[in-house]
Amino acid sequence: MPAQAEPLQAIAGFAALLREHGLQVGIPEQQAMVQAALALPLRRTRQLDAAWRAIACHDARAWRRWPDLFQRYWHPDQLKGSARVSGQTRPTRDLRQLVRSLHETLGENAPGQRGQRSAMDTALDTPGGEPDDTGAPRAQGGASRTEALHDKSLSEWLPQDLGQLEQLAERIAQRLRRRLTRRWRDHPRGHRLDLRRTLRASLRTGGLPLAPAWRQPRRERPRLFILVDVSRSMETHAQLFLRIARAFVQAAQARVFVFHTRLAEVTPLLQRDSATVQEKVNAVTAGFGGGTRIATSLADFHRVHARSQLGRRARVWVLSDGFDADPPEQLAEELAAVRSRGARIVWFHPAPAPPASGAMQRAAPQVSRFLRLNSLGDLAQAATALQ
Amino acid sequence: MVDDSVLREQLHRAGYIADEALATTLWLAGELHRPLLLEGDAGVGKTALAIALAQSQGRRLVRLQCHEGLDLAQAAYEWNYGRQLLAIRLHETDTDRVKESDLFARDYLLERPLLQAIASEQPCVLLIDEIDRADEAFEAFLLEVLADWQITVPELGTLKARHVPLTLLTSNGTRELSDALRRRCLYHWLDYPTLAREIAIVRQTLPDAESALVEQAVAFVQRLRREDLGKTPGVAETLDWVRALHRLGKPALPDDPEALTVTLGCLLKTREDRFQFGPEQIRRVLEGHRTGVAEAKAA
Repeated sequence: MPAQAEPLQAIAGFAALLREHGLQVGIPEQQAMVQAALALPLRRTRQLDAAWRAIACHDARAWRRWPDLFQRYWHPDQLKGSARVSGQTRPTRDLRQLVRSLHETLGENAPGQRGQRSAMDTALDTPGGEPDDTGAPRAQGGASRTEALHDKSLSEWLPQDLGQLEQLAERIAQRLRRRLTRRWRDHPRGHRLDLRRTLRASLRTGGLPLAPAWRQPRRERPRLFILVDVSRSMETHAQLFLRIARAFVQAAQARVFVFHTRLAEVTPLLQRDSATVQEKVNAVTAGFGGGTRIATSLADFHRVHARSQLGRRARVWVLSDGFDADPPEQLAEELAAVRSRGARIVWFHPAPAPPASGAMQRAAPQVSRFLRLNSLGDLAQAATALQ
Repeated sequence: MVDDSVLREQLHRAGYIADEALATTLWLAGELHRPLLLEGDAGVGKTALAIALAQSQGRRLVRLQCHEGLDLAQAAYEWNYGRQLLAIRLHETDTDRVKESDLFARDYLLERPLLQAIASEQPCVLLIDEIDRADEAFEAFLLEVLADWQITVPELGTLKARHVPLTLLTSNGTRELSDALRRRCLYHWLDYPTLAREIAIVRQTLPDAESALVEQAVAFVQRLRREDLGKTPGVAETLDWVRALHRLGKPALPDDPEALTVTLGCLLKTREDRFQFGPEQIRRVLEGHRTGVAEAKAA
């Protein structure tokens, strides 16, 4: 390996670590990082943190992750409470030294600069996907960190793992098929002439309609309603179902309700970035008493809360194990009522098989799909089925 | 572009207190000729930064306020149809009729903010404010401008920038921006300022206000931000509130919650927040501010 490629390899390894944690860092970003390191005078190496952060982060989520990742790669010895990866020795990388050698090899005054530029490109190209030997913890024995997280049951999650959930929720929200509405919107390549605006615009050209205005039908995203069962039988799952619901509140402006014996809307609580969400939801549901009355809650949902919003564009997701204390035929009736308004119903259940209680068996024809939801992998799989 | 410590000093003189990381990012944006995407809650000073930057660099500020339905004609350029028609009419009787190429010359081109920034003779600062309010189609058009610093006018050809404008985009996150746009920009998340920085900002803007009032009021707002509010007060709100208290002739923050309630409209701007924040809550935050003031003194 040529000597000048080493600092570039370290940067490439850093980029690989960033990618592993969901940051979008490609070759252009890596090149910009090298440029920034070269542009900063040696005495200001400390500011490389801020400069690279501006280059590598593209959104608030990445921005929040940065300090930890930067510290982990460049100053692992200063990281508090970090678990050591067995069998790996990770010497502290000296950022100052790295920048110095970058300046020496690729700086403007260095001889043979052009030839080494190409060395920079190849050095950044080749290890793009793989960090250097001493880099971030590598996959061992065929299992990588991401996969481990992927299959982790939702109830075992740590808050910092939730970034991936947010991304997934966004992806699913993007996939939800836009529905045609009866309203029209301005569109430069629309197919219907907007006569009023065309005439209005023709005034400035002396009445000649030189710039016709066009319209096309408006398409809108489905309206998402998420109903989360917070009864005793769902205790272990409810908290994480709420997290998922919250991700969809942020990604798709979903409305979220919780129920066991009664139903309450919790959307406003989930819109805020507050650490006390769970406490507040508990406070809302505190007086509900024991048992689960899914049918009564559903009736309340479509008659009162979502009365004017349930239409062809509505998607109703129920997150529940399907154990209902109401008369068995009532659930089917209420689901049929929701369905008759044009809404599509998807039932998510934590167990491997769809709920098989008497009420659920009668209600099953009203439900478009039953999907298992117990891990991030399940949600990713469900993504293809949700439209 | 100047060194970032100099830039920080210049911004300070223009009335904007920037931290080191922000100054470095601004410097880098100038160095790499990349636009800078600023995100952050409302009222943290995103737009103010662009204004201060223009002032500190002695550059002209070209501002494009985005909104739904913003199109090329409002953002980049438009032909001055009225003038073209007038020119045709005026020359109808001439022996040498007006030629079509004459009508599509720069004289008949109305320059909107983007073209103004590209065509500017002097280096300028371009602020594309609240880009999240514009449509996706407009965002796609921006890609050409921000990547190559050029605008193509079919009748004239491609106009390249003489000086790459120092470009700031701001977003409040009402809509998710495309990855393509994000990756073309440098990114900076503007957070609420720290206690010491916010005191410095208020002092800079309101030099007449009493020192005790500024320190206590800012410590109060900082504590208020930790409360669970629907709309967290930004720096603009702090400035409004201190200005109001100063006008009311208060030398320091009154201890009586009732006296504060009347002015809290400067800070709490939703009905729920006002409702939630009764005298009892104000007292609780007030009691906390004393420790905050001690912190401020230490800072």
